[in-house]
Amino acid sequence: MSTLPQLIEEDIGELNAAVQELLMKSDATVGFVIDKGGFVITQCGHAPDFDVMTLAALSAASFAATESIASLVGEKNFSSVYQQGENFSLLVLNVDEHCLLTIIFKASLSVGAIKYFARDTTRRVAMQLQVSMHRDPGSGIDLSMLNLADPSVVFRRKSA
Amino acid sequence: MAIINQASKELQVKIVYYGPAVCGKTTNLVQVHDHVQAVAGNKGKLVSLATSSDRTLFFDFLPIEAMAIKGFKTKFQLYTVPGQVIYNTTRQLVLRGVDGIVFVADSQYDKMEENVKSFENLEENLRSLNLKLDDIPFVLQYNKRDMPSAAPIEFMDYLLNNRDEQVPAFPACAHKCEGVFETLNMITRLLLQKFIAESQRRVA
Repeated sequence: MSTLPQLIEEDIGELNAAVQELLMKSDATVGFVIDKGGFVITQCGHAPDFDVMTLAALSAASFAATESIASLVGEKNFSSVYQQGENFSLLVLNVDEHCLLTIIFKASLSVGAIKYFARDTTRRVAMQLQVSMHRDPGSGIDLSMLNLADPSVVFRRKSA
Repeated sequence: MAIINQASKELQVKIVYYGPAVCGKTTNLVQVHDHVQAVAGNKGKLVSLATSSDRTLFFDFLPIEAMAIKGFKTKFQLYTVPGQVIYNTTRQLVLRGVDGIVFVADSQYDKMEENVKSFENLEENLRSLNLKLDDIPFVLQYNKRDMPSAAPIEFMDYLLNNRDEQVPAFPACAHKCEGVFETLNMITRLLLQKFIAESQRRVA
């Protein structure tokens, strides 16, 4: 599985702007761009009670599992997973080979409207990821600021 | 593969605990969750998608942030896979985007065949994702060392670590939290070393 490029300020700014616009137009509560491995790339909206990291991991897994089920019954074009709730609903949309867009919105909103507005968002996010991918594909990663305080122990056990 | 967000100076990596059924993968995560030193907010909830009898059905997931790394906010996502043979598709899904692997083997003699089969299955599943075990930081953990029928470490090395360049292997009793942090710290070190080496290659 190939990987995402490293993302710089410009990328994150554009992804945030795209998701913000979606939230404004659709009145959805939270939107986040995640990678198919389950990482959060960027998050917009207010989610005080939502554990975004876990939501990202589970929605990526749920999308992957449902996509596999769809392919077992011969469905080739699989693009979204929708979970209808009583208070909040959740929609996970495919962005491209690497990424997904997860949207949480009040159950009173119509999923059709969310999908309609999200179409532009997924396109915009995919375009920006293409830009970042082509920026400098051979440049490798830059973690020059990474500094291990004690390389022998990153995680410590609590003393009894 | 890891997410590197230069805008927020954030690095996210995924470590998968792999191994045969009932070898102690979930126990490793439970012990890390229960015993790790973390400041508030650095340790997430341990999520288990398990059957009613506590066997992992899809995966276990533990997000955790390392305190000992400066410069980048480094978030680790620890996953386990279901060990039972029938859940292979699920294992492939969990392996997507993996950065580091901990292979947990059951030290009991009668589990050796399952260990070897699971190891082969890991290599096969990585191939289906166009990955090779040699390219991914990985460590071995020989769990259940306290069982009376535990095979000698040398025997386990012969079966599972028989390669030109051996990978680090740790004896463990995961339910007593012995060997759990040693394993986690080693896979973390290997991962960070790999990232730093790649980063330096860029500068050179």
